[in-house]
This record gives sequence, C-alpha cells and structure tokens, in this order.
Amino acid sequence: MRQLFLLAAVVLLTSTAAAQHQHGKPGSTPEAFTAAPAFGPDGTLWLVRPMVDRIAVLRSADLGKTFSAPVMVTPEPMNLDWGPDARARIAIDPKGGLVVTFGVFQDKNFNGRAYFARSSDNGASFTRPRPITADATSQRFEIAGVDPAGRVFAAWLDKRNVARARAARRAYPGAALAYAWEDGDAGFGDASIALDNTCECCRLGLAFAGAGRPAVAFRNIFPGSVRDHGVITFRDPTTPGPVRRVSVDNWKIEACPHHGPSIAIAPDGSYHVAWFTDGAVRKGLFYARADSADAPYSQPRALSAANRQPARPYLLANGPALHLVWKEFDGTKVAVRWQVSHDSGRQWSTARTVAETEDASDHPLLVADKQRTYLSWLTEIEGYRLVPLGDQP
Amino acid sequence: MRLSLLLAALLSVVSLWTAAAADPQPFERGSWAKLREAHAGQPTVIHFWGLTCAPCLVELPHWGELQAERPDLRLVLIAADPLPQDPERLSATLAKAGLDKTESWSFTDRFYERLRYGIDPAWAGELPRTVMIDRGGKVTVLPGVADLAEVRQWLDAQSKSH
Repeated sequence: MRQLFLLAAVVLLTSTAAAQHQHGKPGSTPEAFTAAPAFGPDGTLWLVRPMVDRIAVLRSADLGKTFSAPVMVTPEPMNLDWGPDARARIAIDPKGGLVVTFGVFQDKNFNGRAYFARSSDNGASFTRPRPITADATSQRFEIAGVDPAGRVFAAWLDKRNVARARAARRAYPGAALAYAWEDGDAGFGDASIALDNTCECCRLGLAFAGAGRPAVAFRNIFPGSVRDHGVITFRDPTTPGPVRRVSVDNWKIEACPHHGPSIAIAPDGSYHVAWFTDGAVRKGLFYARADSADAPYSQPRALSAANRQPARPYLLANGPALHLVWKEFDGTKVAVRWQVSHDSGRQWSTARTVAETEDASDHPLLVADKQRTYLSWLTEIEGYRLVPLGDQP
Repeated sequence: MRLSLLLAALLSVVSLWTAAAADPQPFERGSWAKLREAHAGQPTVIHFWGLTCAPCLVELPHWGELQAERPDLRLVLIAADPLPQDPERLSATLAKAGLDKTESWSFTDRFYERLRYGIDPAWAGELPRTVMIDRGGKVTVLPGVADLAEVRQWLDAQSKSH
C-alpha cells in the first residue's frame, strides 16, 4: 500500500510539474538567450547575460576560455525583454567604468522599460538599476556606446509620442528614436526625440563619427508604410542630422520584422551598413557603403541567397580592417559567415564559415581588443564562444 | 493487480485533466510533413500568426468570422512566434477570436530557423502569412495580412474544381 502511495505521488508530482511547465511560471514565459561582450582597457573580456529573470555580468582574463562567477546586476527578479532583437548590453568607458543596459516588459502588450546600471569597482558591484528616462510610457531596443571623448550615449525606441497622439486622437505609426547623454557619473540627462515614426521593434545600430557625433542606423517608416533603413548622424551632441536613406528596398509591411541593421564607421569616415529586407525591390541580406555621412550609399550587395535565411548581420571597424558577419541556415546547420575588407568596404574577401551549430543560437556579434577582432556567439549546444578572426582571410 | 488498476485509473484522470486545456499542438521538427499528410488531397488554408505580432491579433477575429461563414474552409492555425509562447495565452487568444475549435499548432522549438526551413526555406519568418494548398498540392502564399476576398475566391474555385 505504501508503495502505491509513493508511486501515485510520483505520478502526480511529475504530471503537475509537466503541467506547470506548460501553463504557469516557470517555463511558460519565453526567456532571453543572449550574450553581449566588451573588452575593458586592460584586456579583460566582459560579458553580460540574462539568466531567466536576472541580468548577470561575467569576466574572463583568458579570452573566454574561463569566466568568473556571475555578478548579478539586478538584485530582484525582473520580467526581462526576450524579444528576438532585444539584448542586454555592456559598454566600457576609458576609465574602466562599466555601463550595463537592458530592457524589461512592463505588461503583456510588450510595453518596455529601458534600464541601466553602473559599476565603478571593476565589476565587483553594480548600482541599483534605474530607468534610462523618467518617462514611463514604453522604451525598447536600448543601445549604449562610448564616444571618442569617453562620454556615454544611449539611444532607444520610445513610445511617449504614441501616447500623446492617441490622447489627441491622431494616428502615430511606429515609435520615436530617442536619445540621452550621460550626465556626470550618476546617470543619463534628459531624453530627447531625434525622429518620430520609426519602426518599433528592430534593434538599432550605433557608431561614432567623432566626439559628440553618434550615428544611429535604424529601420524607419518611409511614406506608404515602407520599412526601409535610414541613418541619422548627429551634427553635435544635441543636434541630430537628417535621415539618410541607405537603400530603397520598398518593403511595405504593416508589421514588425524584428530584424534591425548594423553600422560601422571606418577611420576614413566612410559609412558601412548591413541589413535584412523582404522588399519588393530586393529580398535577403545586404550591405552598402557611403564615402561619408552625407554621401549617397552604394548599390546594395547581397550577402548569401534568400533561401538560406541569411540574417543578423554585424559590422565592426578595427583599425583599417572592416569585418562583417551574419548567420545563415542550410537545413541542418546554422553557420556564421565572415568577410573582411581592407579598402574601406569596396572589395571583400570570399565569405568563410567561422562557426557552426545545429540548434538555437543568438545573433553573431563582433568585438575587438587592441590586437584583433573576434566573433562572439552564444549557442544552445556549444555555449559561449569567442572565435579569433584572422586579419587576412 | 489492485495496484496496477488504481494506477491506471490515476493515470487516465491525469491525462484527461491535461487534455482539457485544449492547447495548440506542439509544432516540432517533422510536424509540417505530418500536417501536410493529414490534409493531403483536401483544399487547406494554413494561417501563420503570432502573439508577438500586432497585425496578426487584429486579423485573427476575421478568420474566426470566415470560419463561421464558410463550412468549406479547412483552416489550420500555426503560431510561429520566434520564441515559443505560453500555450494558455495562445489558446485564450484563439478562443477570443472564435477559433477555439480550429486545428491549431504552435512553434515550441527555439531553433526556429529549422522549423521555418522545413515549411519554406525562403520564408524569413515575417507574420502574418497564409498558405493555401489545393487538392493537387499547388501552393499559393499570401504574405502579410490576407485579403479575405482572395481567400473566398480561392475557396469558390476549389468547390468548382471538385
């Protein structure tokens, strides 16, 4: 009899666990699966990773072979943004100060809140996370970077003007590109809107044309609900310039593609953008370059073929070398493909596979220390990998 | 003997209780082939939607209306969110759109590249998306929000060709 009870208990427990896995927390809420890297001035590799409902920072002194125990940035559990183009990030200022940014969902309608936390003791502890902006409407896809003068800039997609338009019974497609600059060591100053009516759920690309001159690449909404890409370069820290269209793909879609662009600016001032589109003019993954912020972009160059699901491009300028990676799928394996250019993006090496996996994977990212450029990639099977890329293919 | 009987009773209670939730069937590797086989030779409309896709949520009740209006509509719903969603929220959303009796599946694998590739290698994952398959297996794709007049026309053509 006792045996029966025991068996019954096991049956009930396991089935309850299975039911919970399907119907209640935990397990039923999607989880973010990302890892974002940055090198510190001393060569330390820093990694920020969401762990279910917390944000953790890890450090490696041996180029990702071993990592320290994770240091929690979020003291309490939070409802982290798990959107496929959302990502917790880490930026490092010239003094070695760490800035972590991440987003949470405020409700079931995917209204977000962008947070940041800082560490001034080399990652031993972090300030309590605070919202990047006081406005509580909705922010997502935050990105932060350090300009050449060492000042932290943050940009995100903001819905405060959507709420205002709704109150005034006006239509407001998309979201706004918002930004703020670091204000001392304490936090960010007031937020400003650089542009209204951008696409609302694609990641942003960020590079710097100079001190106080960020350049943000984003999926815009052009007239006719066409969701093609634009770049805004700031003339000075508080003056966003006009939108420069990267390409006319004519992707007319009343939806959100969850595919954001990547941008790099080379030392010669040239601009480089890679993006995904399913437009009437072209479909797949593309790259184009411009001689400067105001010069027109070149004819888009296709990366791979549309039936290989090419996606998630990433560009990085490291000295005179320009690196480009993306992922594609052949039906069995996801491969990260890599190209390098030494002539400002005019000619590129033949694409080469630098890493593969056969299960779920994060976007491939690029990160550079003083010596070289690395692929940074988190995959379900292999875990985190930092793969050195040759300067020459 | 008594023990195994009791256990069997207990197990059947558990399985009934699980089935009562009427969640979408998990769409995994191989599900597409199974689905196609189950509907082979029958004009079928497969509608891909997602909880994370705002236009899909606006469109869904119209499919519920069409389903009520056209008994000849053999509709299959597949939630193709890039990240697997809570089945309970999926079924609640379908019920609200009047689609709780419709055959329904949902992506349950994070490896969405593979799931999509099995359906159509050139599909980059954008939602909504409607795929109409006629008796002979001829596929018509309606990317984005479907024009239901087009679906009605297609249904009319199917009954004529019968």
